[in-house]
Amino acid sequence: MFKFRTEGYNGYSLQWSPFFENKLAVAGSANYGLVGNGRLFILGVGVGPNGVAVERVFDTQDGLFDVAWSEANENQLVTASGDGSLKLWDTTLADFPIQNWHEHQREVFSVDWNLISKDMFVTGSWDHTIKIWRPEMPRSLQTWTEHTHCVYSTAWSPYNPSMFASASGDQTVKIWDIKSPRSMQTIHAHTNEILSVDWNKYQDNTIVTGSVDHTIKVWDLRRPDREVICLPGHEYAVRRVKCSPHKGNIIASASYDMSVRVWDMAAPVPMVELHDAHTEFVLGVDFNLYVEGQIATCAWDENVHIMTLPSLLRR
Amino acid sequence: MASSRLQQIQTHLAPNPSAQKTKVGVQSPEDVVVVSALRTAITKGRKGGFKDMLPEDILSAVLKATLEKTKLDPKLVDDICVGNVAAPGGLATASRMAALHAGFPDTTSLNTTNRQCSSGLQACVQIATAIQSGLIEIGIGAGVESMTQNYFSRNITTSKKLTAESQAAADCLIPMGITSENVAAEWNISRLTQDEFSTLSHTKAIAAQKAGLFKDEIVPVTATIVDKDGNEKTIVVDQDEGMREGTSPQTLAKLKPAFKADGSTTAGNASQVSDGAAAVLLMKRKTAHKLGLPILGKYVTSAVVGVPPKVMGIGPAFAIPVAVERAGLKIDDVDIFELNEAFASQAVYTVQKCNIPIEKVNPKGGAIALGHPLGCTGARQVATLFPELKRQNKKIGCTTMCIGSGMGMAAIWERE
Repeated sequence: MFKFRTEGYNGYSLQWSPFFENKLAVAGSANYGLVGNGRLFILGVGVGPNGVAVERVFDTQDGLFDVAWSEANENQLVTASGDGSLKLWDTTLADFPIQNWHEHQREVFSVDWNLISKDMFVTGSWDHTIKIWRPEMPRSLQTWTEHTHCVYSTAWSPYNPSMFASASGDQTVKIWDIKSPRSMQTIHAHTNEILSVDWNKYQDNTIVTGSVDHTIKVWDLRRPDREVICLPGHEYAVRRVKCSPHKGNIIASASYDMSVRVWDMAAPVPMVELHDAHTEFVLGVDFNLYVEGQIATCAWDENVHIMTLPSLLRR
Repeated sequence: MASSRLQQIQTHLAPNPSAQKTKVGVQSPEDVVVVSALRTAITKGRKGGFKDMLPEDILSAVLKATLEKTKLDPKLVDDICVGNVAAPGGLATASRMAALHAGFPDTTSLNTTNRQCSSGLQACVQIATAIQSGLIEIGIGAGVESMTQNYFSRNITTSKKLTAESQAAADCLIPMGITSENVAAEWNISRLTQDEFSTLSHTKAIAAQKAGLFKDEIVPVTATIVDKDGNEKTIVVDQDEGMREGTSPQTLAKLKPAFKADGSTTAGNASQVSDGAAAVLLMKRKTAHKLGLPILGKYVTSAVVGVPPKVMGIGPAFAIPVAVERAGLKIDDVDIFELNEAFASQAVYTVQKCNIPIEKVNPKGGAIALGHPLGCTGARQVATLFPELKRQNKKIGCTTMCIGSGMGMAAIWERE
């Protein structure tokens, strides 16, 4: 396992590059994101004496809560910030963002780049709104205000370029089509706040949610009255869920219980991996697209862990 | 701003006890699961296969069979709880002897418990609760009764002061047969209805025995009996003895009331006096997986309620709704009820009051046909329930019984 210390910054989110197998972006915030600066780390994995080397850092005035690599330009990525701003960065350029948007009225907690229409990304904010953007446009393309509580997570469908899901503190997940002013579907998915949503990459219509109720649920959008499977096990809120890009039945989750767990929803005992080396809330987890079995995690303990899980290769 | 962010994130840290609760339909590593549930045959009191054995002999046999069948290392069992009603001293010392004789090391602790006719279930619930709370990892809830040895010799004196000063306390001493008469009289349960219910118990038990449906739950026991000439011989007891071929409402109608001249409770529509033992091996799901043990199903929840002592038989009708609600279910969701047939009167009352379709009740017969070895019954029902849920390909079972002195107990189990 490689470790990297994001000294002075508590990890909030990370994402592997969709273009380079060893490049990792980490969004961090000083003082646990409560007050103070943010920093975006671009890390090279497998580089240097410690196995992880900093390629570049970008500093911001407020904490960074999420990050998404551009699917179109291998050097660009966008960050979501506590002051409501979004910033587009180019890793070949020093210091300053190449684009800065400021429309959200409160903390932006999620950003996700469209996997098919690669010129578009979506953001979710504590101001209850969802917005979609194009990198070259100075203003957002569209705003949705249907949620009645903070939007914690937004994720594009891997199948349909105009469809995305949002998860909210209002205990619902909503499915949206950007061509429609209203949501297509609302699922009362948990009886507590929902902090994360992701799409299964292999099964059309399948999404996964993580909640303050400590559980992860898998949903079939065609039968939304009841979850397909409920995965209990985390001892505190599930902060992030991610579906494996390599296997349709694998889910990774990060939790306030300081653990990262990997689940095989097809197995008789679904929890197949428990990583408890972090010593604070774990907020970020992501699968490397190029190296099957490799995941990266970041936590409030100012550490990034990068590991290859043999159990994922066996499945 | 910092304080509003802190407030927002604080809501994420809400503890959520409901997420930890055992839920029907959700398999958690923390579930308490049944790995094995076995029983001896139930034999007739004073004339059956166990008539010359002591309760600890029968108990040892079923504990030993549990180890043999699961191949579990006995030293991994932390505690055993044995339900027993009538033996002197709560059968405490003799039960400990039975565990040691069966192959458990001295490090495996044991206690006995007595909640009258629910003692065997109380033992299972006590062990399941200790596992849930983390006090122990693996335990056995068991039950044993030799009514031959311990039922007829009881001479219990109770306080005259209490009975004089409290009518409810005095009601606790009403003979069980009279409580049955009280139930039948108060809720107009006719002799014919009771006899028809009893006939059904025999019919189902005989059919189940003929079809070999008890083979997964009964462990054969080598018993020593003394024949009428005083000769000792060894026999293998592997069949229940209580079923009577040819039982019909007409044959039962000929029996005289046993407790009251104008009553309706007879030897034919009450549970039989019997001997037997049962044992249920419990642990968390994660422990069973770690040890590579099979899982029959899980313990979901249970409830005990109190009712007036003079109509103690109505207990299940009040315990079932509480247990079912605790499990997050409706009575309709339960596929099989193992309802102890202490008396046909109270069993019929329960079926009517809870509106249970009769085909869901005791599909392999109940205590009227099989017998009711008091402390054993609660654990015996678990052993009877799981194979039948599997055979019918059903999920949810409820084991329930009335309790002398005025209580009812019910537990919910889910087959997997």
